[in-house]
Amino acid sequence: MRIHAPASVPAVVDRLLEDAVVAAAVVADRTLPQRDAVVRPFPSWLDERLRRGLHARGIEALYAHQAEALELLHAGLDACVVTPTASGKSLCYDLPVLQAVIDDPAARALYLFPTKALGQDQLASLRAFADQAGVELAAGIYDGDTPTLVRQTIRAAGQVVVTNPDMLHAAMLPHHTKWYQLFEQLRFIVIDEAHTYRGIFGSHVANVIRRLLRICAHYGSRPVVVTCSATIGNPLELAESLTGRRPALVDRNGAPSGEKRVLILNPPVVDARLGIRAGALRLAERCALGFLRAERQTIVFGGSRHAVELMLIRLREALREGRGPVSRLRGYRSGYLPTERRAIERGLRSGEVLGVVSTNALELGLDIGRLDAAVLAGYPGSIAATWQRIGRAGRRLEPSAAILVATSHPVDQYVAAHPELLFEATAEEARLDPENLHVLLAHLRAATFELPFEPQERFGQAEAHDLLAFLAEEGHVRQADDGRWYWASENFPASEISLRSGADVNVVIIDTGGDRPRVIGEVDQFSARTLVHEGAIYLHDSRQYHVDRLDWDEQKAYVRPVDVDHYTQAELAVTLKPLETFDAVDTRGGERWHGEVMVSSIASIYKKLRFETLENLGWGRIRLPEIELHTTAYRLALDPAAVADWKRDELDLALVGAGRAMQTVASILLMSDPHDLGLVSQVRSPHAERPVVYLYDGVPGGVGLAGRLFARHSELVAGALDLVRSCACQTGCPSCTGPSLETGGDARAAAIRLLAWLAEQATSRADAA
Amino acid sequence: MPTELSRMAPRLSGVAIDAGQRARRLERLRALDRRLVTAAELPTPPPRPSFADPMERAERLAVGLGGAVETMPAGPVVVVERRTRLPVDLEPLRRLPYPVDPARPLISLDTETTGLGSSTGTVAFLVGLGSWQGDEFVTQQLLMADHADEPALLQAIDARITTDTWLVTYNGRTFDWPLLETRFRMFRRRAPVHAGHLDLLPIARQVWKHRLADARLASVEAAIAGVQRHEDLPGAMIPDRFFGWLRSGRPELLADVLDHNREDVVSLARLLGVMAGVLADPERRRKEHPGDLAGLARAYARSGRSDDALACYDEALSAWDAGDPAPSRLEWADVAADGARLLSRVHRHVEAEAAWRAVAERGGGSAAWAWIAIAKIREHRHRDVHGALEAAGRALAIVERRRAIGVPLRGAERDLGRRLHRLRRRAARAPVRHPASIG
Repeated sequence: MRIHAPASVPAVVDRLLEDAVVAAAVVADRTLPQRDAVVRPFPSWLDERLRRGLHARGIEALYAHQAEALELLHAGLDACVVTPTASGKSLCYDLPVLQAVIDDPAARALYLFPTKALGQDQLASLRAFADQAGVELAAGIYDGDTPTLVRQTIRAAGQVVVTNPDMLHAAMLPHHTKWYQLFEQLRFIVIDEAHTYRGIFGSHVANVIRRLLRICAHYGSRPVVVTCSATIGNPLELAESLTGRRPALVDRNGAPSGEKRVLILNPPVVDARLGIRAGALRLAERCALGFLRAERQTIVFGGSRHAVELMLIRLREALREGRGPVSRLRGYRSGYLPTERRAIERGLRSGEVLGVVSTNALELGLDIGRLDAAVLAGYPGSIAATWQRIGRAGRRLEPSAAILVATSHPVDQYVAAHPELLFEATAEEARLDPENLHVLLAHLRAATFELPFEPQERFGQAEAHDLLAFLAEEGHVRQADDGRWYWASENFPASEISLRSGADVNVVIIDTGGDRPRVIGEVDQFSARTLVHEGAIYLHDSRQYHVDRLDWDEQKAYVRPVDVDHYTQAELAVTLKPLETFDAVDTRGGERWHGEVMVSSIASIYKKLRFETLENLGWGRIRLPEIELHTTAYRLALDPAAVADWKRDELDLALVGAGRAMQTVASILLMSDPHDLGLVSQVRSPHAERPVVYLYDGVPGGVGLAGRLFARHSELVAGALDLVRSCACQTGCPSCTGPSLETGGDARAAAIRLLAWLAEQATSRADAA
Repeated sequence: MPTELSRMAPRLSGVAIDAGQRARRLERLRALDRRLVTAAELPTPPPRPSFADPMERAERLAVGLGGAVETMPAGPVVVVERRTRLPVDLEPLRRLPYPVDPARPLISLDTETTGLGSSTGTVAFLVGLGSWQGDEFVTQQLLMADHADEPALLQAIDARITTDTWLVTYNGRTFDWPLLETRFRMFRRRAPVHAGHLDLLPIARQVWKHRLADARLASVEAAIAGVQRHEDLPGAMIPDRFFGWLRSGRPELLADVLDHNREDVVSLARLLGVMAGVLADPERRRKEHPGDLAGLARAYARSGRSDDALACYDEALSAWDAGDPAPSRLEWADVAADGARLLSRVHRHVEAEAAWRAVAERGGGSAAWAWIAIAKIREHRHRDVHGALEAAGRALAIVERRRAIGVPLRGAERDLGRRLHRLRRRAARAPVRHPASIG
């Protein structure tokens, strides 16, 4: 049989399942049935030209969700549109906006997208549609690349202005008088890809939108706000937090889709003691190859740039055999030039590009058409993101397939053990906290700069008076004789706020061993202190590197390849001090609590441990600054009497193991990155005087994760128990209770004992949440 | 508020706001921010006088600065008026290539602000206006005693700038006026319509900057009008003086700011006087630095008045050697080259060639370029390939000499490489013709 021969998607899937390696790894195999379109006629008010434009695109009717959104927006009501990838979401707002512009050429709209690329993509398609419809439309993009002259035109006459939250925050709002024509006539604000506005970034964006609406009110406009989001658990709540308004929910998807086969694969265990599994990338490549060789358009998602490059190289190698379509397989990630990316997107739409290996860069709504198959090397970290990626495969009529390959990461293992989570559970909730005091104060400064505050004016959920009085103490704000609060400083407060700060800052790892320095990877700031401190042995792609220098200010670690018989393990000393109790509820097992804390962490020493024997070969000092974090935390405190019969070591082991599992489950429950939550366990807390486990929010002030964990305590405990119980390892492994070398002893058994006891307590009492 | 909050809190997402809790968190932030200083090290806040009545605050400022309170519909404005004898005949300004109409009421304007840039958080707290009443120059400085008085300040400005007004500023097109437009726009109003706006900064840059260290108004005034300022307040300190007044209620903090602003407004008038009395007078400007005349000539050229421009170039060049100290040969060549180029532009090619010859005869690196220019005129205008070749050859001789002494003219070398190659090729085909035989 020829290696490369066109075949249908079901045929490829059947062939894959005949492959013993693949078949053995299958933990779930579901078929999502075909769904027919639910359509509605065009609304009577829709202009003839827009109808013609739609006809030109072969559109004779609207999908139910589009029709619903159109009616709301046309009636001047806010809407929150939640639909899957490629369901014609843009038309939901483009049509009402174009209709408004036809009815009144002075009408204007503001489109917000999280990235420049998305903004450009949407603008191009809006312009193309306006052309097809024969509607005169002045639309322009306003971002850092817009030339000065074009900026002036956009300000004065842009009917649709496309921008991103960063530009709105730093360039438009502080100069709102130059944009008065836009703000006076603003009828629509479109917030697309709203699910990306979560965590601390979302908290910032929500405050930018508060400032925007405040400026609109000043100019006498009250725009309709439409929020569009991918499928998440709490779209309405997200839209409310972001906009401060209560939109109507539009979530009945009317777009058709063909039958879709979804497989979840878990590579086999190769070392039961350490809980190590075979590589996920290899298995993902094996699956992708089947589709590519059958001429089926395929997207492969990798978790990192490195994974993407590795899979790309190996897939191309494999395709070369039998003269496969090597050049039709492309890589896609940040770091590729915009023109190159646009060419790949076009190639995917036209079918010229057969396959693409991508990072999450293609998870957002860039238009790449619909493909035959999606292969996910690793769980993307949330149900919502998984469906976003899976949604890339799925033609309107033909069958499609999606394959998720789990890595040995704990979250992946949890999903592999509970595949029903993906199919039956509602997607995660997107969390943000616009009332985060640090964020709120920063934006209140910017808002005062933009417009004085009236004596009783609110900003967000409460009156701004107390906060303004606080700001007045540092002298940047003052209350004048008329009772209003004015900006009274030379500073430009918007420049002091970066919307995307914090966890986005990574330390780049540079290999200096070769002919010229080469970037081999990156780690986030928090992990950097324990992974790439000076003297560390850093493992990367199964090679050892010695860290020669860590430039903390420049965020660069310089390494060179070595071959030694040991590895290093850094100790991070974390101290945590509770500052204020928000809420505490007794449970018979102890007490759950959430409140404000101060977390200080310092990496001070590291050990050198010999492979195999784990013999201690010596130690070294780490000289890095202490990091302080003023944030919110959830705490589980055990009743000391109830654990009196535990040995101290055993209890320590149980707390660490259970804590790790809870941290994993928490990130699944709350749709957050596992790094967003820190873990501290104490056998005897100096503050609570009991054994405790803390999970704290990883950003200053927090984004409300702790409060949600407090509310979902019983789910957290039950989930953690489940995770540890269903793990394939013997005495605890990185996939459940954390690396067993670190803890020693039977962490798994200890954690199960503790969690089972807690779960029983939790279920025997009605949980107040 | 508490009842409203309790109604809101369960409905809205995020952390429920408990007023008491937020107050405690603010308290802790305070403690965090100040933990590096002990309580004793904290500066004692100055006693802040409280002005319940906006009138009272404005009165206090007016008395402190020797001004008066003017009551606008929106509130009080402090107005400080001063008069200076400054007799000037502005009529000659008409002759200059600048957009100004001396028949209109000219108003000098300069603002003092709480920061740079024209973003919305920057306020013009002091606006100095000046205009002639006969031989007297009258300055009126409008000042707000409090942020709350800004609408009144803007009303006072609006009342003084009529549709007939011609504004005179220094960098006002880029800074002062856009800032005032922003301030009016903040109150959803339009800045006053006026007949015209003459910004002296670009003029100063063109005419005087060549012989000054910088183009600040004070520097220009010192060099051109011979007025030295004493104890002038550095501009960077101005915002703090205003904030200081707001905090402390001490009018004297603003006295220096007022002096500085008044100096600037009067400077504008003096510069206008110099422009009308010297720059616009062909007899008097002859005695000025030739570089000034060259700048003026360029301004004439740009506004399409080439005869005036050429006359100015002539004045500049003929006055050159009389200058004391005589400006450098390089500057002379630059000016002469400008004049020659203008002649070419207005198709006076014979005169242009003569002008370039004058440059060439003075020698130096400019001579090479002058011969190249002559070669161009001969080749393209007179169709005289051999004459062009001769001129290019002279340029080559200079270029080679320069290279020999180690100061090569690379641009000219590259140009000549191509030009000589082409000219030689064309000369080989063309019969020798005397330039005079051209019809």
